[in-house]
Amino acid sequence: MTATTAIPAATPNGTPYGTPTGTHDISKLIVRTSLRDRAAFDLLYRHTSAKLFGVCLRVLKDRTEAEEALQEVFVKIWSKADRFAVSELSPISWLVAVARNHAIDRLRARRVPAADLDAALEVADQAPSPEAQAIAGGEGVRLHRCLEELEADRADAVRGAYLRGDTYEELAARFSVPLNTMRTWLRRSLLKLKDCLER
Amino acid sequence: MSHVDEQGEQGGDDLVAAEYVLGVLSAPEREAAARRVDADRAFAQIVDAWEARLAPLAAAYAEEAPPASVKAAIDRRLFASASDVARRGKTGIWSSLAFWRALSAAGIAAALLLAVQPLMQRPADLTQDRLVASLDAQNSDVRYLALYDRAADRVSLSHVSGERATDRDFELWMIEGQNAPVSVGVVPSGNTITLQLTDDLRAKLAAGAVLAISVEPTGGSPTGQPTGPVVAAGGLRDI
Repeated sequence: MTATTAIPAATPNGTPYGTPTGTHDISKLIVRTSLRDRAAFDLLYRHTSAKLFGVCLRVLKDRTEAEEALQEVFVKIWSKADRFAVSELSPISWLVAVARNHAIDRLRARRVPAADLDAALEVADQAPSPEAQAIAGGEGVRLHRCLEELEADRADAVRGAYLRGDTYEELAARFSVPLNTMRTWLRRSLLKLKDCLER
Repeated sequence: MSHVDEQGEQGGDDLVAAEYVLGVLSAPEREAAARRVDADRAFAQIVDAWEARLAPLAAAYAEEAPPASVKAAIDRRLFASASDVARRGKTGIWSSLAFWRALSAAGIAAALLLAVQPLMQRPADLTQDRLVASLDAQNSDVRYLALYDRAADRVSLSHVSGERATDRDFELWMIEGQNAPVSVGVVPSGNTITLQLTDDLRAKLAAGAVLAISVEPTGGSPTGQPTGPVVAAGGLRDI
């Protein structure tokens, strides 16, 4: 018998908040999932689905579509869990990347009538980043500090693009600048961020 | 798209990777980037680096529990024929490992050779991008997942279960054919360990060598050959 009982049983009511799960445990769950361990997959879902659903909701802004996307995200996690071993990302970052990429792909594939797009842009948030406060922890502090070195609207464009998966066109419309200006802004901002983080 | 060409000149892969991770690319550009991530390990690492840089932004995604119907739908999609998700079968040969503990140090090395022979059915196809080995044994709860990555020319070991005793280390061995086991090194404790392959080890892997983990005194085997019980072993297979 190999031991498959190293992961503690989940709380009976299945709440994702009841059992704090560290990075180490999530790694193990992903690796065990890659070995087709269904119990590990169930636990992984329990501990991470709320975060990944949050990603899908924010990007897709539609509950039904976010629910479908989350299904597809976990199907991908099941079938591609082995990739985690060769990635250098932390387990949560890896999972978020899978979810974000999938949600953004879905967003791009969506055919949006122009009128709806305009309406969506109008109601979208222009307020300066509430995200700024939500960033916490060592790496988060560094990234936040580097974002502060950018001009405020450019930092907002970076945050907005990351969190919502906006295209250059949408960002240009939101910030009322020409498309090429937005493209230049973001590219320069990304390179500045990288320089700052490597200092 | 014309600006793709422009950026190819200006920022190269780093900028494409950054834009891909940020999420601003169009559908065809995203598709092209995703294909490169799958095919080009160097590009995938640049993308990973950007994912890591921007990852703290994800703290702003508010958690929200999905409805139970989502998990039910996932299970239907993945496990509709529930009977085929039985645990992976075990090769019966590991029952013979139980007596290894009783053997002398020299005997253990010999027994290790005997025991891994059945695993060496065919050479590993190292032209595959990724090969995987599940390292385990019936008499122990130690389990590692080994992943060979051709592009990076390295083997990653992911710890799945089983802890080492306080005054013991795990040592990784490569065993090819009738040859004596060759030490790959002491396995550092931790979650994921990466071993860069030497020419010698790569040749052995290509020849169908098996990976095995034995329990050794702290710092590794004093003799250069396995001295303690083998707690996990396995051969590389295509994923």
